[in-house]
Amino acid sequence: MDTSPGKIRGNSWRISGKKDILWLLVWIGGLLVLWVWDALFLNAPAFEKIQTAFLNSLWTGLMVVVLALFFGWFLGVGLQTLERSESTIWYTLASFAIDIIRSVPQIILVLIGYVLLTLLLHEGVIRSTMGQLLWIAFTIAIAVALEVADTVRERINYFRTLDFVDAMLCCGISEQRIVNVEILWKNSRSHLLYKLIAIFGVSIFLQCSIDFIVSVGLSTDVSLSNFPMTLGSLLANVDSKQDILALSNLFTDPGYLPTIVTTHLQGVSVAICIVFTLICVYMIANGFVRRHKLI
Amino acid sequence: MSSRRYDIHIASSQRQLVDISDFVLAESSITVLFGESGIGKSLSALAIAGLIDPDQLSVRINDRKYDDYLRSPDLLDIRRNGFFVFQEPSSHLNPLLTLRTQLREGSLSESSTEKRILGKLWPGSSTSIAQEILDVYPKPYRPSGGEKQRILAAMAFKKMSTADSSNPGSLFIFDEPTGNLDNRLRNDFLDLLVENFRLHRTTVLLITHDYSIISHFTISYPDLAKRIVFKELMLDRGKLRLREFRPSEYLDWMADRRSRPRLAPQTTELLKLGQSVRVFGRRLLITRDHAGKDPSPLIIRKGALVYLKASSGVGKTTLAKLMMGLLSAERMSMQFQGMEYTETTHRKMWSERVWGRQMTMVFQHADEALNQNASVRDVFKGLPLKTAMDDAGTIKRLSELFEEGLDREFLRRPVKHLSGGQKQRLNLLRSLVLDTDVLILDEPLNGLDFASSVKVIANIEGKLQRGGGVLVISHNEEIFDALASRENIYYLHATA
Repeated sequence: MDTSPGKIRGNSWRISGKKDILWLLVWIGGLLVLWVWDALFLNAPAFEKIQTAFLNSLWTGLMVVVLALFFGWFLGVGLQTLERSESTIWYTLASFAIDIIRSVPQIILVLIGYVLLTLLLHEGVIRSTMGQLLWIAFTIAIAVALEVADTVRERINYFRTLDFVDAMLCCGISEQRIVNVEILWKNSRSHLLYKLIAIFGVSIFLQCSIDFIVSVGLSTDVSLSNFPMTLGSLLANVDSKQDILALSNLFTDPGYLPTIVTTHLQGVSVAICIVFTLICVYMIANGFVRRHKLI
Repeated sequence: MSSRRYDIHIASSQRQLVDISDFVLAESSITVLFGESGIGKSLSALAIAGLIDPDQLSVRINDRKYDDYLRSPDLLDIRRNGFFVFQEPSSHLNPLLTLRTQLREGSLSESSTEKRILGKLWPGSSTSIAQEILDVYPKPYRPSGGEKQRILAAMAFKKMSTADSSNPGSLFIFDEPTGNLDNRLRNDFLDLLVENFRLHRTTVLLITHDYSIISHFTISYPDLAKRIVFKELMLDRGKLRLREFRPSEYLDWMADRRSRPRLAPQTTELLKLGQSVRVFGRRLLITRDHAGKDPSPLIIRKGALVYLKASSGVGKTTLAKLMMGLLSAERMSMQFQGMEYTETTHRKMWSERVWGRQMTMVFQHADEALNQNASVRDVFKGLPLKTAMDDAGTIKRLSELFEEGLDREFLRRPVKHLSGGQKQRLNLLRSLVLDTDVLILDEPLNGLDFASSVKVIANIEGKLQRGGGVLVISHNEEIFDALASRENIYYLHATA
């Protein structure tokens, strides 16, 4: 058996080097513990609310990831195609339009999406919960897709500095295949996946922030009570707020802790769920970057 | 003649990189080591010199743990009395010290031979240029690759001049020391090596892909026939083996090539490039003579092998890219298959008519030209072939440049796991299967062993016999001078 130092260090690297996988397991494990805890101590209606809110937020986050990938890929490839075309007018116009979107804070873009959602709800265009979540996901995806597009363009531009693209062009391979298959699919999956992990975290953060903001209500007819339950809206719920405010009791009465984790579980669970998810996503993204040596 | 025998095993966390049990270096001799790129020549040499990071790779030498080998007196002796010239000169030089400082650093200050060595490496009037270069920092002034290689060679020769011939630790390793030098400078380097070797009888390992070194050593130094040993590192049934390479293998083949009548090209012109091209503010001038006095358009006829020569950095690859429409010239005129291509020709015209259909080009760096994350099978996907290649067809074409007995497993292998030579063969084959009217080959023999080079040349000749035209850019002057007829040899010059 080879027990040389290099080999031993190599083996230990294999175990400890996959920090992203470890943190994914920590996230899933932590959520399971929270679920069991809630199942034991939380009343049934509140427990159901938390489950619905978590699943809605998770589903929306995943839809954001899918849509952002689609939009970002299309936008990135489209922009670089326009950039290399003979006519510069279309590229200038597209760049101008994208820079305008880029100049607007993401949270404002998403708020505009919520305002439109209010109108659509008011007009009865969107009725189902799934439709509403899809609209929210679509809105957030529009706001964050530019980050994917930037990654797509960076990757394409990097490969253009090598002989890679020219060598394939010379062989008659189409530029679309070189960009979409050879550069993005075969050589940039890790980079894009890293970006999508980060976008999942951003989408959870944006959802929670906006839902909290709009908890004051958007119009006389439409308010949070019309929107699907998400972690953000559940956090804004008056019961959750009271649970979280109860934490302040700990400053004067540390012995109140057992009461908090057994009777104020709705707000605490939602807060833990959000913060714990964001921390884990951050750690997963960092671990992924290190494992795939992306920086 | 006594010798050093090394049993070398190197592995990464994923796979075995080197596994050889008979790496033998004859002492007080020059061992010239050939072999396909990426097969393990440099890695073996680095392991012997104790230059591998044990945190990165698992290494065992002569059944000893690498940490033990690194502490062994033999290695300390090699480090104290030997020298290692790295393949990539930039990685050898300290960017924060001038070249002169580095040339006189540490034990190199003991030698008084600097002026003589520099005079030999920068012959004639260029000696003053060498003195100017010594005062620059490797960054940001960036001496050329050839200049850096000669500085490193000068360091090694200074060290060699202080070597004690009775000390077996005087091991000098030169890893591709002439890759950026033209033939004349390469021969100057070899002459200086032999001159120092005669004086100090050190042990020298010279790693190279340039088989024409054999001709120079054999013709110029017949008295050293027993002291200059040629070896080739090769894969034999999946196992690395170091075999004796008889000079006659190469010399007889060269003699045969020279004696064969050149294939007479047809009169039909496929391509005609105007005698001068303007690009990046420079004028590239094509001439029929080395001195640059006889400008001429570059003509590729059916069945002709055209050979374009120039020193490193003049713009041979740039010219090839202009001919392929990959770069925009400031002024250019080219007639190709009845069409006129100029600096204003639309890119769409190149992509629809030329690329992969009428003309193609093989780039010199296979690592960049191929998708490292693709499989061997994927390399042939997306090509504008008349009939798509299935697995059997792909294996058949691969057998033209690869060994017999390839199977579907090889087609699934990622390009990044192939050796440098295998990548180069794949790079060549991707263009050869296209069967275009004109093929441009930029350093086609880069990183290939002798057997592969012979196969590539046979393939090129097959293309010529089918009526194709081939333009070759290469530093392997001896080989391509023998293949191209005199009227098909051109020289490239750059002027303001």
